[in-house]
Amino acid sequence: MTFRSVFHQLFTEESTIAWVVFGLVALTMLAALVLSRRRRKRGREPSKLMEANKLELGYLTVLTGVAAFLMVSSLSGNNKELPDPPKPAVRVQVTGFQWCWRFHYEGQPVTITGQCRGGGIPTLVLPAGKVVELDVTSIDVIHAFWLPYLRFKMYAYPDHVNSFTTTLNQTGRWEGRCAQICGLYHYEMYFYVQVVSPAAFGQFMRSRGGAATAVSQ
Amino acid sequence: MTARPALTRYEHRVQPGRDGLPHWLLTTDHKRIGILTVGTALVLFFFNGAIALTMRAQLAQPGLDILSPQSYLQFMTMHGTGMIVLTITPLAVGMGVYLVPLQIGAPRIAAPRAVLLGYWLYVAGAITMIWGFLTPEGADSGWWGYTPLSNSVYSPGPGESLWTAGFFLAATGTLIMGGATLWTVLRLRAPGMTMMRLPVFAWTQIVTNLMVIAAFPSLLAAEAIAALDRAFPGSFDSNFWNIAYENLFWFYGHPVVYVMFFPFVGCVAEVLATFSGRRFFAYKGTVLSLLVFATGSMAVWGHHLFASGQTTNDYYSLTSIFLAIPAGIEYFGFLGTIVGGKIRYTASMLFALAFIPQFLVGGLTGIMVATPSIDYQVNNSYFVLGHFHYTLFAGSIFGFFAGFYFWFPKATGIMLRERLGKLHFVLLVIGTNATFIPFFFLGYNGLPRWVPTYPDASGFPTLELISSIGAGFIGLAMTVFAYNIYISARLPRPAPPDPWGGHSLEWATSSPPPPYNFDLAHPVPKVRSYAPLFDLREQGLAQAAPQAATTPQSAETSDKRGEE
Repeated sequence: MTFRSVFHQLFTEESTIAWVVFGLVALTMLAALVLSRRRRKRGREPSKLMEANKLELGYLTVLTGVAAFLMVSSLSGNNKELPDPPKPAVRVQVTGFQWCWRFHYEGQPVTITGQCRGGGIPTLVLPAGKVVELDVTSIDVIHAFWLPYLRFKMYAYPDHVNSFTTTLNQTGRWEGRCAQICGLYHYEMYFYVQVVSPAAFGQFMRSRGGAATAVSQ
Repeated sequence: MTARPALTRYEHRVQPGRDGLPHWLLTTDHKRIGILTVGTALVLFFFNGAIALTMRAQLAQPGLDILSPQSYLQFMTMHGTGMIVLTITPLAVGMGVYLVPLQIGAPRIAAPRAVLLGYWLYVAGAITMIWGFLTPEGADSGWWGYTPLSNSVYSPGPGESLWTAGFFLAATGTLIMGGATLWTVLRLRAPGMTMMRLPVFAWTQIVTNLMVIAAFPSLLAAEAIAALDRAFPGSFDSNFWNIAYENLFWFYGHPVVYVMFFPFVGCVAEVLATFSGRRFFAYKGTVLSLLVFATGSMAVWGHHLFASGQTTNDYYSLTSIFLAIPAGIEYFGFLGTIVGGKIRYTASMLFALAFIPQFLVGGLTGIMVATPSIDYQVNNSYFVLGHFHYTLFAGSIFGFFAGFYFWFPKATGIMLRERLGKLHFVLLVIGTNATFIPFFFLGYNGLPRWVPTYPDASGFPTLELISSIGAGFIGLAMTVFAYNIYISARLPRPAPPDPWGGHSLEWATSSPPPPYNFDLAHPVPKVRSYAPLFDLREQGLAQAAPQAATTPQSAETSDKRGEE
């Protein structure tokens, strides 16, 4: 869930700064238009000032400060999301293909897949509160595994595995989709992620012929 | 500089200033090549815009069947590549080809025959790419053309091959034109025209073309790999080559967005200064920031790959956010210029003023997508579409129109109709913002790019409908623009040499300028600053500028000057 909280913290922070900057620029423009009108009414000439170096240096200092703040919060947020990965309770191999997904629980005889088109959207079931590792890959072109609820996506390359870990605390069911152009039915490459209690997850694994031990650690 | 340079053997046959098709199509006059480039790019702007409107019709409601998923991807690929490679880049470079020699008091461009070759390579690229689009299996891998999707296994047929070849040709053409412009401004300046007396527009052309020659070869390498892969399938199967293509592509693909930006910053700067009736404010800071900006923008390409797991996110986040500093300095110049000014609200000035807040939206959301933790969510979503349409359309295209209304009288000797220009402006502001603001919400709520339709959920249909209605306004605005050019050419109102009270040397010569830019009747004036004509007016040595009028109606009267 770190992805989600870091996203919202940074998005709120940067939106606030953006609105303030936009407001200041808009106000300055408004001031320029009002001053220009006044000049015209009083028959005064435009200003002959060509530069204001002290003002510009002060502005540069403030600007650099804001940029430095943005850099620091961007980097620290990103590093919060990618700590040394804890030992995962569940590892799932996520494979994108033209044009659907396959979820294979590593070390278990459990694989979920579908056709995506005309129904048959696969559902990735995960236990709540446990560390899960997703190993994202592809068998043909580049896809991207995007779960908007998680505020995260990762590209799925052929001939390569990208891994990330996360912990989903809330139970629920969310829609995810492919986020990399991958051909004709890119727009139908949906999947679901369903987060259930660890007990329900064990039940689900057993019903598919797997062992529930994966989450008992 | 008033002496006519010796004619080459080529120029004895194809003479500058002579009428007739061969004297245009084979011209070595930079003004004609510039007009051809900008004109061709404008025609393609309408073509790619019509494609965009078709896509907006398809997306107006969910589940529509105006375009099949296959055609949608083809239209989208043509729109993206067509706008970036065949329209906005040539507009940016072509304006430089036209204006830079005039602004520096030179009689011609360096290597004029190479520039002509560059133009025709661009035209060949455009024809090749559109030919590919018209084949049944047109290119449909998006404007990035990522491998392996774009290889001959996943995208068979001639369409993608023609796309690759067209991209290569057009990029080569603009590369040659950009290099010649850079050489011109470095080597052919008039006496007294030092580097620190160049107009801001000429400076933006320097940094633009530095990036062109540094970045475009990388695209040629990327497309060469793609072409070899299509010719010899299986040669580049390892994922190493996919990553290599992505890096080579973005080493071009990110700088090119600044290539499509700086010249229009130049347009806006010149227009703001002229219609504020004062010299551009904080010139030195602006020049320095342009150089820093261009240098920095060569080091940010990896931010397109934050979600790829294949790049150093911290580094690229750092370099990308750093660009906010030079960008902020440019805004200091813009705002400082208008704050002390006495503003004349011409159509050109309106576009330049709107550029400031509109591009800012693109810049501020740019900081968001430069933050990996935010980009993990919004990358490849409508949010990014919103971001770069604000930079390229609400920013660059508005800057282009500011420059177009400003320099059209110079290039053609004809004034455009101010009232139609203002109508064009109002419609375009409404259309642009209605079209692209919804994109931010669509992306935030989880709608990815490259989809021909979308679910009837999350408020998508309403937002998409607003966007499509906005696109209709853009279409209307562009119709008014086309009509303005038509009626202005049909019932011409001749332009004086300096209709606006301009600052730089091009306003010292006739409209349109003579074959070698300056002649005995229009000599290059003395250059003592980056606003030589402003200096002359201040010393009372030139005709009084329109802004000398002091009545509240002076904005109106100055608008009418060209209509006499």
